[in-house]
Amino acid sequence: MSLVTELILNADSEARYPAPKELRIFQDFLKTGEQRIRIATVLAENEQRIVQNASAKFWERCPVTPSNSGNPRKTASCQRDQGWYVRLVAYSILAGSEQPLAEIGTFGIKEMYNSLEIPLKNIVECMRCLKEEAIALLDSEDALEVAPYFDYIIRALS
Amino acid sequence: MQDAITALINSSDVQGRYLDDNGLDRLQSYFRSGELRARTALNISANANTLVTQAVAKSLMYTDITAPGGNMYTCRRYAACIRDLDYFLRYATYAMLAGDVSILDERILNGLRETYNSLGVPISATIRAVQAMKEVTTDLVGADAGKEMGVYFDYICAGLS
Repeated sequence: MSLVTELILNADSEARYPAPKELRIFQDFLKTGEQRIRIATVLAENEQRIVQNASAKFWERCPVTPSNSGNPRKTASCQRDQGWYVRLVAYSILAGSEQPLAEIGTFGIKEMYNSLEIPLKNIVECMRCLKEEAIALLDSEDALEVAPYFDYIIRALS
Repeated sequence: MQDAITALINSSDVQGRYLDDNGLDRLQSYFRSGELRARTALNISANANTLVTQAVAKSLMYTDITAPGGNMYTCRRYAACIRDLDYFLRYATYAMLAGDVSILDERILNGLRETYNSLGVPISATIRAVQAMKEVTTDLVGADAGKEMGVYFDYICAGLS
């Protein structure tokens, strides 16, 4: 779901046209499209780098973790997941809503990692490292747009 | 429902990919059309009743359908008809804002033809009325916005026929 869909469904639930104020919000949101596309492109182009740097940082802070145990399969799946979260954050940036991230990647996240027997506090640390590496690539205005989505993942894990 | 943004996100996610250049271009032009879409929705919302009245006058009012034996004869059926046209206009406006037809399928078209057939509502007259609505809407909102609204009116007609 995006901000656009949300606004339409709100109007529809009351069988009315979107109000002027809602259309103002709609228009303002679409105006920020250039910025959203720019941020999503930076994340897409630098996913590998973000994941590599974040992993190094994560293992430094949290050396005892499955992805650092010398098992290449575990390392690969951890880094694959990290890449996925960068992608989902990029989707949410485009949508202007945490819904894509939530629907694909945070509903059930605790249950999933618990059942994989990966300590949640490690995942939280890993997401923090991802966030730091992602925002390091952006100027302060763009970083402000991205950070809340990583915080949203971290909140979902706690 | 989907909109122009989530439709691209959903189709990318199935492949585990970021949006490709083509998708980003489409998104770019959607983002740039915000003012046109918002202005059109405001305009339609302010004139919705008039548009329905004009569309009926243009397509149904002076035909046999409003005479005894016709499907719009009796005030109750007339009222149901204009209520439906009102819905079509509102959902076409939603779809125009979204830049995506999915809400039309979900809220209007699924099962509509069967419902109309069972109520004896003539499909061809309904399509004529929606086409008339497309014309009067274009007269109101101008050629560019009218063309975009036309996509969704035509989609309703295609779904009915």
